Amino acid sequence: MASVVVTDPTSITIEIVYRGIFQKTLAQRICRSVVLAARKRGYTGTAFGRYGDSPERNGVPAKYFAVVAINDLELEASMAKYEPSVVDIAVAVDDTLVKGVESWAWYGRQPIWKPVHAGGAVLVTSDKPAAEVLAQTDKAERPYLLGIVPGLASFAGLWVYKDDHTDYRVLGALAKVAPNWVRIEDVKTLIQEQTKDGSAVASAQEGYDRTQLRDVKVGEGTSGHEVLQFEKPGWTAMRPGVIVDARKPGERNPYYKKYGARTLRPVVNFDTCIKCTMCWLDCPDECFEVTPEGHYEVVYEACIGCGICAQVCPVKDCIVMVDELKFEDNDDKWQLWKTDHAAYNAWFEAKSGVSADPKRLAVASSKAENAAPGANPTTAGGED
Amino acid sequence: MAVEVKEKQPSDVETEQLATGCEAIAEAIRLADVDVMAAYPIRPYDGVMQAAAKLIANGKMDVEYIVADGEHSQFEIVKHACAVGSRVFVGSSGVGWFYAMEAIAVTAGLRLPVVAICGNRALDDPGAFGCEHNDALAVRDLGWLLCWAETAQESLDFALTAWRVGEDKRVSLPVAIGLDGAFLTHSQQIVKIPTQAAVKAFLPKFDLGDRLLHPDNPITIAPQVDQDWLMEIRMQNDQAMRKALDVIAEAHADFKRLFGRGGDNPYLDEYMTDDAEVVFIGQGTLSLPMKVAIRKLRKEGHKVGLVRLKWFRPFATADVVKSLSRFKAVGVIDRDYSFGSPYYGGVLYNEIRSAMYSAEKRPTIVGFIAALGGREIEQPMAREMFDKLTAAASGGLKSGDITHWIGVRN
Amino acid sequence: MAVETHGTGTLPQIKGVKDVPYDELFVSGHRTCQGCESALVMRHMVKASGPRTIVLGSTGCMYVANTTYYTTPWVVPWMHTQLGASGSAALGTAAGLKVLMRKGKIKDEKINVIAFCGDGGGADMGIGAISATLTHKDYNSLILLYDNESYANTDIQLSSQTPYGAVTTFSPSGTTHRLMHTRWKKNMPGMMAAGHPESRYIAAGCAAYAVDLMNKIRKALELGGPTFVHTLDPCPKGWDYHPQYSQELGHLAVETGIWPLYEVIDGVCNLTGPTRQIAEGRKKRKPVYEYLKRQGRFAHFADEDVEHFQATVDKMWTEWLIPGVIPFTVPQKDQALLRVEKKPLHEQQTA
Repeated sequence: MASVVVTDPTSITIEIVYRGIFQKTLAQRICRSVVLAARKRGYTGTAFGRYGDSPERNGVPAKYFAVVAINDLELEASMAKYEPSVVDIAVAVDDTLVKGVESWAWYGRQPIWKPVHAGGAVLVTSDKPAAEVLAQTDKAERPYLLGIVPGLASFAGLWVYKDDHTDYRVLGALAKVAPNWVRIEDVKTLIQEQTKDGSAVASAQEGYDRTQLRDVKVGEGTSGHEVLQFEKPGWTAMRPGVIVDARKPGERNPYYKKYGARTLRPVVNFDTCIKCTMCWLDCPDECFEVTPEGHYEVVYEACIGCGICAQVCPVKDCIVMVDELKFEDNDDKWQLWKTDHAAYNAWFEAKSGVSADPKRLAVASSKAENAAPGANPTTAGGED
Repeated sequence: MAVEVKEKQPSDVETEQLATGCEAIAEAIRLADVDVMAAYPIRPYDGVMQAAAKLIANGKMDVEYIVADGEHSQFEIVKHACAVGSRVFVGSSGVGWFYAMEAIAVTAGLRLPVVAICGNRALDDPGAFGCEHNDALAVRDLGWLLCWAETAQESLDFALTAWRVGEDKRVSLPVAIGLDGAFLTHSQQIVKIPTQAAVKAFLPKFDLGDRLLHPDNPITIAPQVDQDWLMEIRMQNDQAMRKALDVIAEAHADFKRLFGRGGDNPYLDEYMTDDAEVVFIGQGTLSLPMKVAIRKLRKEGHKVGLVRLKWFRPFATADVVKSLSRFKAVGVIDRDYSFGSPYYGGVLYNEIRSAMYSAEKRPTIVGFIAALGGREIEQPMAREMFDKLTAAASGGLKSGDITHWIGVRN
Repeated sequence: MAVETHGTGTLPQIKGVKDVPYDELFVSGHRTCQGCESALVMRHMVKASGPRTIVLGSTGCMYVANTTYYTTPWVVPWMHTQLGASGSAALGTAAGLKVLMRKGKIKDEKINVIAFCGDGGGADMGIGAISATLTHKDYNSLILLYDNESYANTDIQLSSQTPYGAVTTFSPSGTTHRLMHTRWKKNMPGMMAAGHPESRYIAAGCAAYAVDLMNKIRKALELGGPTFVHTLDPCPKGWDYHPQYSQELGHLAVETGIWPLYEVIDGVCNLTGPTRQIAEGRKKRKPVYEYLKRQGRFAHFADEDVEHFQATVDKMWTEWLIPGVIPFTVPQKDQALLRVEKKPLHEQQTA
């Protein structure tokens, strides 16, 4: 079993695939540390974000790169690039990213291993075993090394960083699979210099020790993910005057499906739903369809998993946010509830871990009181 | 809302007026049935806005006349009126033109056929109202068409041509007309005002087709793009600008047929060049004192002529090369500056030099920076330029002799 | 539950959540953040206006995020305009349509013209053009300013609408300066209302009060002339909170009295929603700390910063002529003269 990536002897390219904004600082820290650690043995390097991702949006996948080379001359080939087309290691710092990455329109959902060459590696931070992660990863077209860095996805915001040592563990994992480029001693020295914190240094070692490796052969993975590819038109076909067709009424943008930006998805208990409209009304992404009976079902192709619906729903556990990795498809579910009620409720319970029993009924949760009708005055005069 | 007074409409017969360049343009606005114009005060272009206001107040034309809060707003207002299908007019001068620069740049990017006059005025600082060409020249890379008028008559004629060419679907680009500040904007000259019937025959209705912004036509105009798209969009603009040369030629031929004016060549006018050994080339009203000087020089037996460039963008390279290749030496008169440029030459100088580089026969090219800040070209200056030009024609250029500043006190 | 269409061009007030039209004119598939309230504003804006609408969108999140790249979520016709040009875009579009209809070049019918801008493009760069447009009573348009309290699209820089002390990339909190931004939020809707008496409708709204907001937009479009609506949009990216709380934060902004909801119709000022309830004494203002503590952009606040924030909001409620709208006070001796009887608003102690 391979335990080390195969790279060009002159340079290595690593990409961090991350949830925009939530993991922006994390991705930057990892890439900068890769370069600075390599400096300790006289190598040189560059770190940069993908320009097209900027400005980043909460949850929308983005990429940050680190390139290390043996000298400036070899580094030049990797400079002045928007993004490397081939990488040695792709690191997904949220395991739901293995379901594929779509960052903007016309790009289509890309397998997480797409830029990784044969003999490269995909590292994933996850609390799940390799088999479960692999089951959600696109079928491999080239052999690669899969590494699971133990831990949950580390999410924070722009201003307050969550220092839970995820970056140190990832650095340790990188050292494990690419010891010729990321030496564990250099990583530990760098962390010690920067933090003077022994536990941070220990976390790097922990990442090194506890990352689980697994060879992935061609054909392993799932073929269940949608393949979306678009041909970009040339200037003779593009409408003059920088014009694109508007969306048609009832349509959702076929060129950009946002489900790849989701870490959690909402599941709905239609039995306890009181048809108050709030989920549908307050969804910024227009993800709810009105069913013939007046329920609101989630269009999973469109949902970005923000969780507002679960918050504004006045009924406890009527909408529950669930780990995206538990789902294999994006099918809409209300039809199933209509045609096979028991099967739907079993599905709801299995996914959410919450009972679907309508006898355990609607108590407005303390969070939900804001979603009660009084909070939305029905006339501008404020009478309610 | 202005109180309407019924006035007798101008009769449909060609009339004469004593009008400034600005007032002549106002007549063109009337004849072209412009829908929206936006005004903001700055000298010397705003004579056109004042003249237009009078025409509207007296019921001579029906144009939505908006006084903006600044030049940026001015150009934005007409750009958006154009997008919903209005024929529009706007203008500015000097730093006002620069205040509008963002709007000016994006108008070309949007392929909207806004027509603007630039009343050429020196850029601040310091403030100066006099004529210089750098304001209008600033659009030269952006996808605007750009021409310079010599007389009030030509101002009117170019305005009509601008809507005709700009709005043509093969072009669909904005057009700027340079009117020399004071010399043309404010000088009154005899102008023939064409008939409405002839103008209607020359200028079709403005029709955006499926680019019209309207609830019946669901489109999004100008979505955000990245490196995957922008180069193709720029290519489209490049192609349109190339097409513009043909469309200008067509319009020129039609104009001649309908109005009996326009010169032999759509892009440039030649004066006493048939047997000339040396010629001057320049844009705008500097041609007038130069023609006076040339006639004097001719009387003395010198074989000298003038080429006046009418269209700066698109640059009619083939025509310019064909014309200038016939001469031993060319003196380029720049009523502008381009500090730090090759040979410290003016903008037109470097364009001519570049155009002639691939010509089979290359004349000696001398650059003259003259008449900046509204200074006139006086006859002694013209004479000085001629002497330097002929010296270069016979003795060749020595470094340091390439660009000359004329008439500067030391 | 009727599915409403808007062919007639008339826009009646929406009675309640169950009467909100189903038609979606701003649809899924835009590259906005999880929990983006500005996107929700866009959705409600055109839901309220209906399909006989032209939208002009100035540079900002609602341009770049929505059309990244070379695509669109808009069903209604939409055109980009420049950062500071919303006012001009509204004016030019409205004037163009008006004259073309008058000259018979296009069909004479009611077409809604809405130009939107962010707080950067509207309250900073483009304030002059908006002000100009609000004086042109002959042209019908709505300028909608969606306020996420930063230049969000350029990765969060402060604008004149950024709250006191908030962290942005232009105002980081550091060891020498805890607060780099100490300017108070400029009162944009109040300013527009006070300065443009010929504008028939000016309002402040929030997508957390969706029906109120949609009705404000409809009122603006129905009254005609140049109008202005300013929405406060919680922004998970710039404010640093988990996106699921976007609605909750909108409620807190209003319930703390920080963001009053109101409208000015033909010069008559009308408080709406919980703002009215607070003024009437039926609701106590929540302490601002309940709002501030939920957002990472205030995580560096010391007690004195919170106190200053609270004191300024208190002053707005206890001293202003109209809380959130008109900041003037009238000296006691002139109150009778100016026919202003300034009784203290009912119970202004915070909850």
